[in-house]
Amino acid sequence: MGLSWLEHKDRSIIHLNVADFAVAVERVLDVRLRARPLIIAPQGASRAAVYDMSEEAYQAGVRKGMALRRARRFCHEAEVLPPHPDRYERAMKVFLKHTLPYSPLVEAEEGNGHLFVDLTGTGKLFGPPPDVAWRIRKAVKFDLGLDPIWSVAPNKLVAKVATRVVKPTGEYIVEAGEEGEFLQPLAVYLLPGLEREDLLRLREFHISQVGQVARWTLEQLETVFGNRSRKVYQAVRGIDFSPVLSARQRPLRLTADHVFGDDTNDVILIEAALYRLVEQVGRRLREQGRVARRIGVWLDYSDGVRITRQKSSRTGTANDFKLFALARTALEFALKRRVRLRHLRLACDRLTYPPAQQELFSLDEQEIRASDGLTTALDQIRSRFGPSTIRMGRGLVASISGETLFEKIKDSQS
Amino acid sequence: MEGEGRSESAGSCRLWVGTCGYSYTEWVEAGFYPPGTKSGQMLSLYVQKFPITELNYTWYQMPRAEAIERQRGQAPPQFLFAAKLTRSLTHEIEPDLWRDQAATFRDGIAPLVQARQLAAVLVQLPPGFDRSLKNRSYLAALLDELEGLPLAVEFRHGSWATDRVFAELERRGATLVSVDEPNLPGLFPALDVVTNPDLFYVRFHGRNAAGWGKGKKQLQFNYDYTEDELREWVEEKIMKMAGEAREGVTVFNNHVRAQAPRNAFVLARLLLEYGLILVRA
Repeated sequence: MGLSWLEHKDRSIIHLNVADFAVAVERVLDVRLRARPLIIAPQGASRAAVYDMSEEAYQAGVRKGMALRRARRFCHEAEVLPPHPDRYERAMKVFLKHTLPYSPLVEAEEGNGHLFVDLTGTGKLFGPPPDVAWRIRKAVKFDLGLDPIWSVAPNKLVAKVATRVVKPTGEYIVEAGEEGEFLQPLAVYLLPGLEREDLLRLREFHISQVGQVARWTLEQLETVFGNRSRKVYQAVRGIDFSPVLSARQRPLRLTADHVFGDDTNDVILIEAALYRLVEQVGRRLREQGRVARRIGVWLDYSDGVRITRQKSSRTGTANDFKLFALARTALEFALKRRVRLRHLRLACDRLTYPPAQQELFSLDEQEIRASDGLTTALDQIRSRFGPSTIRMGRGLVASISGETLFEKIKDSQS
Repeated sequence: MEGEGRSESAGSCRLWVGTCGYSYTEWVEAGFYPPGTKSGQMLSLYVQKFPITELNYTWYQMPRAEAIERQRGQAPPQFLFAAKLTRSLTHEIEPDLWRDQAATFRDGIAPLVQARQLAAVLVQLPPGFDRSLKNRSYLAALLDELEGLPLAVEFRHGSWATDRVFAELERRGATLVSVDEPNLPGLFPALDVVTNPDLFYVRFHGRNAAGWGKGKKQLQFNYDYTEDELREWVEEKIMKMAGEAREGVTVFNNHVRAQAPRNAFVLARLLLEYGLILVRA
C-alpha cells in the first residue's frame, strides 16, 4: 500500500523535543551544572568536537561539531563535561516509555531527545491531542526532570518546525489547514530538508522567509533546487506525508553492497568500491532530506570471516565527501587482516533531519560550499541523464574491475 | 439557535449557549459535523449552530494574536469567544514568571478585545487550589494583573464557597462561574450566586462521578444530561441568575460522543420555552 491514503486523512502528530538533550540529562543528574554554561565534549583529545551545549553556550556562539578549542574561545566561562551516551540512551528509553501507552506509532531519533507520536484516530480513547501532549510532558517532567517542548500539527514537518519556533521551552499547536500560514513568516533555516547550499542560494536572492519561497512556482523553484524542487515546493507549504514509524520497527538504515568479481586485498580497489557505495547511499539520504549520524562498514573475507566497524558523526551528514571520510575511517578499523575480501557493505543509520542551519558563514565556508555545490551538481546530472553518466575518478577503478559485480542498494524503510 | 423569546421575571438578560471547545474529531463520527470534516473546517461549521465557544487550547498554549485573529476571521462579527486562562497562570505557576505570562496572555487575546468578541477570560483553578492564605494572595494578585478584562473565576475546591469570596468577586466586578458536576465531597457546589451584574456564567461538566478525577477526560466528561436535569437547572438557577444579570453564558464540557452540543440544543430549547432571550448563531 502506498501513502496516498495519508493525503485524505486529518492527522495529529505530536513532536516532543527536549532541547539540548545531553545537557538537560547532565543537569538533572547534577543540579550544580545549571549555574553555568555547559559544553559537552570529549576532553583530552587535541581535536575534540562539541557534542552538545547549553542554551547559554549556544547564545555565545558555540555550535555542535565545533572544535572544542574554538568553542572555549566563544564561551570561556563554560564548564566542559565528557559525553555519556549510555546515560542519554537510558533517558531516551524512559522518555519513549511515557509515549507508548498513547500510540504504537512513536518514532525516536536516537539519543537526541526527539520523539514523534502519531495520535491520528485516538481522540475517542485519549481525548484531544494537545491534552495528550501535555500529559506526556507532565509525566516526563515528573519522572525524569526533563521538560520537553511539544507541538501538535497535522504532519511531522510542521510539528518539527513548531518545536523549533518555541525552543528552548514552550508548546505550539498548529491546526490542520493552518500549515501554510504558520510557516510563511518563519525564517527558511527552520525548515527541515533545506541544505546549506540551498540557504546560500536563497541568500543570494535576498530571501530569508518561507513565505517568500512559497510565492515561487514549481518551475521557478526548479532553477534553484533542481530535482528537489517538488520537495521544497511542498515543504514551504507545510505538506508532508511521511509516516511516523512504529517504535517496534527496526531503526531506519540505508545500505549498499558491493561484491568483488575477484577477491581482493588491494586497498585502492576497495576504497574505490567504498566510494561508489557512499555515492549511492548519499544520494538516497539527500533525496529523503535526512542526514546519517553513523556509518558502518561490513567486510566479508574469502575465508568466511566477517568484520564490522562503525564511525559516528556528532552532527550527521549527507555530503558524499564527509560520508566517505567517515566510511574510510571505519574501513581502516576493519581492514586488519591480510586475507582477501569478497564482499563489502556500507550501512548508514541514526538517520535524522539536519539541524536548523543558522550558522551560515561560520566554519570553513568556502570548503563546505564547494563540496555541497559539487554534490548537488552531480545529483542533478545523474537525475537528468542517469546514475552512471558521471562518476568521480576515485570510484572509476571499482567500476572497471567490478563490471560483473552485484551491486544493490536497499532501503530498510521499503 | 432557533429564535428569541422574552420573560418578564428574568428581565432583559441575553443568553448565549455553546460548548467548551469545538475541535473534536469524534464529533464527526457522532454526526455533529458532516462526514469528512477536517479540523480546520470545524469552526466555520460550529458558528452556524452556536453563538459562542470556549477556547480550550489557550489553557495548553499561550494565545498568539495572529492565531486568534485567524480564528476570529472564521466567525461572524457577533460570535463570542471565551478564552481559558493559560495553565502557567493557574496550574503551573512560576513565581518569577507569572506576571510576564499574564502580560503575554493579554497581548494574545487582544484581537478579541479590540473586536468586542471576548465574552470572558475563564480563570479555572485546579482542584487542589484551596482557600489558603498563599492562594488567596496569589488569586488577588492575578485578578489585579488581569484587571480590565471580563473575568470569570471557576473554583474547583469547595473551600472557596463562602460569602466573603463572593463579596470580593463582586467588589472586583468578576463573575463567579456556576458549575454542574458530580456531587462529590470537596468539590465546589452548584450555586446560583451572581457576583457580576454584567455577566453570569454556567459550565456543565457532566455528572460522571465514577470517571471524575481519574485523569482521563474521556471518562470524566462522558455524560448525557437528561431533559429533566436541564429543566431543573433552568427553573431553579438560570431563571434567578438571569434576573440579576444583563447577560449570561452557559456552556457544556461533556464533549465525549458530541453529547455537549446535543445537550446545548436541548438547553437552548428549554430557555426559549421559559421565555428567556436567546442569542442566535
